Amino acid sequence: MGSKNTKITSHDRTILELKLQRDKLKQKQKRILGMSNEATEVAREALRQGNKSGALLALKKKKYQQRLSEKTETQIMNLEELTQSIEFSLLEKDILSRLDAGNSILKELNKEMSIENVEKLLEDTQDAISYQNEISELLSGKITSEDEEEILNELREITADQLAQQLPDVPTTEIPIVPVKLSLPEEEEEEEEELSEEHAEPSSSIQKETRKERRQLVAA
Amino acid sequence: MSQRFEFPSIHNFSPFYTQQVTQTTLQNQIVLWSEIILSYFRHHKLYRLELSEALNGELFKNQGIKRRLKLETLQIIIDHMVKQGTAEWDSPPSKNAALIYWRKPEEWASLIDKWVFDCGLNNSIVTLYEILHGESSEGMEFHNLNQTILLKALDILVKRGVAQLLQGSSADDLGVKFFGING
Repeated sequence: MGSKNTKITSHDRTILELKLQRDKLKQKQKRILGMSNEATEVAREALRQGNKSGALLALKKKKYQQRLSEKTETQIMNLEELTQSIEFSLLEKDILSRLDAGNSILKELNKEMSIENVEKLLEDTQDAISYQNEISELLSGKITSEDEEEILNELREITADQLAQQLPDVPTTEIPIVPVKLSLPEEEEEEEEELSEEHAEPSSSIQKETRKERRQLVAA
Repeated sequence: MSQRFEFPSIHNFSPFYTQQVTQTTLQNQIVLWSEIILSYFRHHKLYRLELSEALNGELFKNQGIKRRLKLETLQIIIDHMVKQGTAEWDSPPSKNAALIYWRKPEEWASLIDKWVFDCGLNNSIVTLYEILHGESSEGMEFHNLNQTILLKALDILVKRGVAQLLQGSSADDLGVKFFGING
């Protein structure tokens, strides 16, 4: 299973080498810590056996291992820092590349969307709207003229019906003549009063009788 | 080894260590041994079986009843497991070492693929050491997995098109690039 060139860049190989080196340092670190612990154990055993100089020698070895461990840890951190910086830079480069691609697309779109094209489009739209309005007017005018005749005819019919309903029929019978009775005054003072009464009575009575007759006719 | 593996009672049965003559009994014997091997390896997280060496171990040598499996019998058992897909000879044609698949490479591949996604490792370079022994894979079942099995699992991912292997300056130095959704 060999590696192919597809999707694998030289940057990837560089990062791989850095990470492999980091792995080697980590394995080295494990060995160093192992030896350090071993030295501690040797020192304890030496002390149990009363061998002080042996214990001191073991502890010296442990100290050396610890310093070696610190150096290795620093190297590991340096490698990881470098690796992460490279990876982040590659990410930034990728972002920049995509921004550039987006910008190119935007420029192409702007070419298609030039101001002249927009103005022409708006003019065409306005012309189309005007044309539509003219068609609407023509159609609506024709329809209205036809409808108006029908509406007027309907209006005449309605008007005729209303008039027929409202107006009463002309009476066919003759109005009977009612005789009016007049009395002569006997005294001068009473004459004025009686005259006023006489004047009032006939007109009101005649009007009343006339109204009654009309009501009867209308009812009939 | 943290905990002691408990053998089933058949492990204390003397004839269990003798290759049976009757075919049906032999087949049953082989199946039972296969199950014990898979359980033992899963329990101790072992991946590679060296037959000669293992025959001296507790798995195939019962001190209590003073019985031990023979090499030829064990080879027959492993052959059966190979057919079943739960083992693969690691040293053909000598038949002295085998990979034991208590979990198949396809399963390892899926576990690794999920781990890559969960850890956000898509579109980045990962070393084999990092997958097997790194801090980020601690707690995962494939931590300390056998490298040969890992390579088989990664090869499956390569064929799926979600990964690509890289070789470093040394022949043994390998890395993987896992592709993301934008890959």
